Amino acid sequence: MASLSEEVLLVVKKVRQRKQDGTLYLMAERIAWGPEGKDRFTVSHLYADIRCQKISPDGKAKIQLQLILHTGESTTFHFSNESSALKDRDAAKELLQQLLPKFKKKANKELEEKNRMLQEDPVLFQLYKDLVVSQVISADEFWANRLGDMNNSDPTPYNNKQDVGISGAFLADIRPQTDGCNGLRYNLTADIIESIFRTYPAVKQKYGENVPHNLTEKEFWTRFFQSHYFHRDRINTGTQDIFSECAKQDEKGLKSMVVQGVKNPLVDLLSLEDKTLDEGYGVSTTTPSTSNANRTVKESSNAAIIKRFNHHSAMVLAAGSRKGQAAQMGTRGILTSSSLLLNPFFSLAIEYEDLQRENRLKTVALNLKKSDRYAHGPVPLQSQHYTTSQDIINSVNHIRHEMVNYKPNLTQVLSSTAASSAITALSPGGVLMMTGTQQAINQMIPTEVQGELKHLYAAAGELLRHFWSCFPVNSPFLEEKVMKMKTNLERFQMTKLCPFQEKIQRQYLSTNLTGHLEEMLQTAYSKFHVWQTRRMLRKT
Amino acid sequence: MDEEPERAKRWEGGYERTWEVLKEDESGSLKATVEDILFQSKRKRVIENHGQVRLGMMRHLYVLIDCSRSMEDQDLKPNRLASTLKLMEAFVDEYFDQNPISQVGIITTKNKRAEKLTDLAGNPKKHIAALKKAVDTLCVGEPSLYNSLNLAIQTLKHMPGHTSREILIILSSLTTCDPASIYELIKTLKSLKVRVSVIGLSAEVRVCTVLTRETGGSYHVILDESHFRELLMLHVKPPPASSSSECSLIRMGFPQHTIASLTDQGAKPSFSMSHLDNSSGPGLSLEGYFCPQCHAKYTELPVECKVCGLTLVLAPHLARSFHHLFPLQAFTESSVEELQEDRFCQACQGELKDKIIFTCPSCRSVFCVECDLFIHDSLHCCPCCIHSQSTS
Repeated sequence: MASLSEEVLLVVKKVRQRKQDGTLYLMAERIAWGPEGKDRFTVSHLYADIRCQKISPDGKAKIQLQLILHTGESTTFHFSNESSALKDRDAAKELLQQLLPKFKKKANKELEEKNRMLQEDPVLFQLYKDLVVSQVISADEFWANRLGDMNNSDPTPYNNKQDVGISGAFLADIRPQTDGCNGLRYNLTADIIESIFRTYPAVKQKYGENVPHNLTEKEFWTRFFQSHYFHRDRINTGTQDIFSECAKQDEKGLKSMVVQGVKNPLVDLLSLEDKTLDEGYGVSTTTPSTSNANRTVKESSNAAIIKRFNHHSAMVLAAGSRKGQAAQMGTRGILTSSSLLLNPFFSLAIEYEDLQRENRLKTVALNLKKSDRYAHGPVPLQSQHYTTSQDIINSVNHIRHEMVNYKPNLTQVLSSTAASSAITALSPGGVLMMTGTQQAINQMIPTEVQGELKHLYAAAGELLRHFWSCFPVNSPFLEEKVMKMKTNLERFQMTKLCPFQEKIQRQYLSTNLTGHLEEMLQTAYSKFHVWQTRRMLRKT
Repeated sequence: MDEEPERAKRWEGGYERTWEVLKEDESGSLKATVEDILFQSKRKRVIENHGQVRLGMMRHLYVLIDCSRSMEDQDLKPNRLASTLKLMEAFVDEYFDQNPISQVGIITTKNKRAEKLTDLAGNPKKHIAALKKAVDTLCVGEPSLYNSLNLAIQTLKHMPGHTSREILIILSSLTTCDPASIYELIKTLKSLKVRVSVIGLSAEVRVCTVLTRETGGSYHVILDESHFRELLMLHVKPPPASSSSECSLIRMGFPQHTIASLTDQGAKPSFSMSHLDNSSGPGLSLEGYFCPQCHAKYTELPVECKVCGLTLVLAPHLARSFHHLFPLQAFTESSVEELQEDRFCQACQGELKDKIIFTCPSCRSVFCVECDLFIHDSLHCCPCCIHSQSTS
């Protein structure tokens, strides 16, 4: 029964279970015991099934370990090795203590998620009570549909895991404030700390080494800001500063970057140089020497700052492209010549789109037959009495003549009863002017009844939504589901709707409150019936 | 000094009648030319609007609003964010007016992250309420184009192929802080056929130019508030459909409004399915629109039935979008001297003061510049043609 690929973490010999001698094995995902001499395990429990473990108190003669499962069962192991029983049992207990929490989390995570959803959304909670607690649909079905919807439409997990880029100015944004007595306050947020770690992996390394063993976090950051590493004049003073190594690493990194150079054929960095014009044109400038001795103090500090800036930008770009796919860009964010020329996505830098003629988007022509039908809607075809166009002209003329000579006969226009009923219908309070009665209904029916009715609507809406989502039925899974949903709807009607109806009848409310719900359910039933008959016909 | 009264006028009414301020400004001739250019482009748009072109009328539009530090700038009064949100409210109203079967969603971005303000929905009230509340948000950090476009794509990629997927970005910052290469994202947008347009509030930014060019959208930078409004309203019109969008038959329900009274025998009060969870909506009522498929009730249309998923619209909603398909043809321009009769505009009955007049090709009535713009932008039909009783 033990698979060969299972990793055995601990083997304890001479463990008795139910008065039988045997060996206890602790594996990666389960604990098992097999009697002595036999190959198979008689007892095997997954860590996920174990609720907790118990040990016999220290004073007792028998040294035992008991495992209690979620189902309530318990298994007891008796460590019977004369010399090392206590040690064995403690070793087993320690290992179990480490392993059990790992597996416990997985089982509970789903439950936690469900509980959280129920707590956050009172409507969902009510729905759960109405549908599952009263056994209209089973809990599995409820969660199957809910969790599926939730995973598709829940935006919060995305928000928590958004990847964030590194702002180039993150160090400058720290903006120290003076705190009144010759000190500076630096406000560090989690974002800034993350940016520092991602851009300067050397600092992250130092952090990992020193905190929390040697320094607290606060001390680490205080030292960081105090060190010359952070400030612009990077004069490496001695080795007591923990960041002097970082400075040396940065120097090395910068040198390697310079050696690599830029592989862009359209950019020639070496031919760029500073040319001053104010000392006479045609004066040849001395080529800047690289030896430190000839430079003035100002020049060397400027050079240091420029070097810092270049290094900082290069590190930020490198951190960004390290995170994402670096396939497109070449090393360190610099375009290589091959990627430029081969990639059609980037138009060559020799063309400027602004200077070219504007290209209009290609549009698709509309292909409408009988477009004047849109002006007045579809007209039903009627049989024509006229056969020739002369007939039509004659009839038009006849009608025109009649219209000209029309004399109204007011006594025979409309009967007086018809007229008065039309007037009453259209005056306030009439049949066609009943927009004001919704207030009346809201007041006539007590609010608890309305609240209950709302819950019924929500529950029925949920069930009906699942029902209608099964159509069109084109797979056996949907067929099953639609039949299940129909039985669910019938059960809902019997268990929830009818008692509610009886209740309101007992309260002498004459209005038919459940009529609409019944109509909705009836529509669903008739749809199901139609589908079923069609299915029968297709089979025969 | 002359500057003092001028400045006061500009602050008070400057953004209503900018050309009046310009009259006193000698060096402002450049501004006048710019105004002229804007006017010409407006006319050009009207002229170009001819021919029957297939349009994407069921639109899913996401508006990305930049809420970074640069939005606190006060060059638009009272500050860029407040001005943008106010114009967005007007935009949302106008959008649903012209595109009743479309949907809009709003995303904001700040502090290198993006957040959904409202989901894609077809009900303008929710969006306007969210926009009103958003005026108090703190503008901090840098925007992230990548994160906000990604967030929009998550929803847009599930939309059916026959609808048009669009994103409109209102970007005021000159930088964007992205976790990965945005050029990859542009390729994804292109493959998903999402059209991205940008309205810049500061200056033209190269990455936005590439973004809009590759996806087929438009990129403009505003000059002032009235120009901003105009650019926003450009996006209200449905864009021409690209040749690759599929076309399919869409199922819609056309419910009728039923009213009943308590005294009727079969009166059944019912709840609207869209108002079940909040207590502020109308309660039990007798009237409403009943879905033809599942008989669920709704009080407002257009809506997607929560029970059976059918789109419910009224015929006037669809008819409202027809003027996009059958646009009014452009009127012919001519000079006012050629007019023999009395010089007054048929629509507003005012005297023709401008040098250019417009004539409707079918009824030959004469309109002034303002009326011509109004007829083409809002009325969509020549007022004299409707009045005439000619049979054709």
